[in-house]
Amino acid sequence: MRAERLAKTTAAVQRQRAGEALSRVAMRLHLPTLVALAIIVVVWITLSRRFGDYVLPPPGRVLDGLRDLVVTGEVWEHVAASLYRISLGFGAAVVVSLLLGFLVARSPLLSVAVKDITTVLNSTSVFVWIVLALIWFGLTDRGPMFTTFMITIPIMLSNVIEGIENVDRRLLEVAKVYRFNELARFAHITIPSIVPYIVAGMKVGFALGLRVSVVAEIFGVTTGIGYMMNFNRDILRTDLVFAWAIVLIIVMLVMDKLVFESVSRWVQRWR
Amino acid sequence: MAEDKGGPFKLEVRGLSKRYQIPVIEALNLGIRPGEFVCLLGPNGCGKTTFLRILAGLEQPDTGEILIDGESVDLTVSSHHRIGVVFQEPRLLPWRTAMSNIVLCLAALGIHGKEARERAQHYLSLVGLRGFENYYPNRLSGGMQQRVSIARALAVEPDVLLMDEPFSALDPESRQILQDEVVKVWRTTGKTIIFVTHSLEEATYIGTRIVLFSARPARIRGSWELDGSSDRVALREELGQLLAQEVRQQQALMAQTQV
Ligand SMILES: Nc1ncnc2c1ncn2[C@@H]1O[C@H](COP(=O)(O)OP(=O)(O)OP(=O)(O)O)[C@@H](O)[C@H]1O
Ligand SMILES: [Mg+2]
Repeated sequence: MRAERLAKTTAAVQRQRAGEALSRVAMRLHLPTLVALAIIVVVWITLSRRFGDYVLPPPGRVLDGLRDLVVTGEVWEHVAASLYRISLGFGAAVVVSLLLGFLVARSPLLSVAVKDITTVLNSTSVFVWIVLALIWFGLTDRGPMFTTFMITIPIMLSNVIEGIENVDRRLLEVAKVYRFNELARFAHITIPSIVPYIVAGMKVGFALGLRVSVVAEIFGVTTGIGYMMNFNRDILRTDLVFAWAIVLIIVMLVMDKLVFESVSRWVQRWR
Repeated sequence: MAEDKGGPFKLEVRGLSKRYQIPVIEALNLGIRPGEFVCLLGPNGCGKTTFLRILAGLEQPDTGEILIDGESVDLTVSSHHRIGVVFQEPRLLPWRTAMSNIVLCLAALGIHGKEARERAQHYLSLVGLRGFENYYPNRLSGGMQQRVSIARALAVEPDVLLMDEPFSALDPESRQILQDEVVKVWRTTGKTIIFVTHSLEEATYIGTRIVLFSARPARIRGSWELDGSSDRVALREELGQLLAQEVRQQQALMAQTQV
């Protein structure tokens, strides 16, 4: 009798454990997201039947288009073009914000000025820079680069400055006691201290840079994800517009999850 | 009680004063001979840390003069005089290993490459950390981190080694071990050391001389030499009473400033 009851409870416990394990696996696989995705696809198919290919092409056609882009290799050329422009524009923003950070760390007066400028830049519309880029750089690569730079620099700057203000003063005292010069102090104490702020700024800045530079690519250039989306809209290939949008999302995710996460883990391996 | 014996002093302080909103140190005179191990005692908030920070070049004194080997120096600007400091916390750069923390400080003095690594290695061994050179501070215990901090202070071969309650954050066991280590290091290197502590036991155990600071503003309340024949128990007794007096005075002072 007793043994039987015991066996029963053990079975119940086992069942419960199995249930928990199952829900953990479900979480790990983002099962809820997949379900939501399935629902969206069904709605998508229904709506595309109703509105037709031009307004809303069915998922199958979008996937076909995407596959063609990959098979023909077309996708790489344009992803590379976009990434190249973003990397230069955004890279310049990172370098300039670090240089300014070095100066700001030396002078509180400068810090006030830089902060005010950051605020102004932060509230300037993307479109201002796109239009100015067209005027100043015409139909060249430099337009999207400039736009990316102008939009990402305030983000990088405010992160770098906030990081510098939060550097552990006790470590700076160590630098003073052991007679580090300014460059050594900046390179070995300030920069490593602000790495988390830089990485956070780079993640946000790059995401924004990608979105903005794609918009900037509508004007002036003949390569890049943004250009291809606009081009396909012109020739009424809405399915390819969708395909390029998916490419854009994938590039974003890959950069964020693979590139930035591993870079950040590597530079902070001492933790 | 012994007065400062005449020079030559390794480190001499003349008429040193410092005030923040209140006078913290006033007309302080102190001479320390080469190789002395001075333990500095005094009530809470009397100005011991301030005194050490001035000697470390982290604060500018209002008046007074600091002499190293008889030469007047301004320690707040870079000079060829070297001061080693062990703070209450280890203050290591967490992104550098034990070895490279020390190598970085040597690089600031223009010592590079193999020479720097060998010297860092030597001092890490001296504090008992052979084999832990490539550990990041996070992977070392608190006591071991403090040892790295001591090795770093020694590696720059300082004129004076300053230690501000270096073991107060450690457990009694590590504390005991590190006290013995520091005495051993002092014997092998013959460094001039100023060591702030709140513990009479610690002071009478490790020091060759005890200096007692008064309640704020800090002046020298007394100075005692210690050697093998000193009666440490009686001295502890005497110091305990004097310290209690100063603590009471300091508390009265605090009550006053609060009004
Ligand atoms: N930067 C500062 N600004 C204003 N007041 C200060 C500053 N640093 C220290 N003080 C004051 O100077 C006095 C002495 O401080 P200090 O830290 O030197 O004391 P201490 O002897 O080291 O005390 P403790 O035994 O608690 O470590 C205190 O009253 C403190 O409030
Ligand atoms: Mg103190």
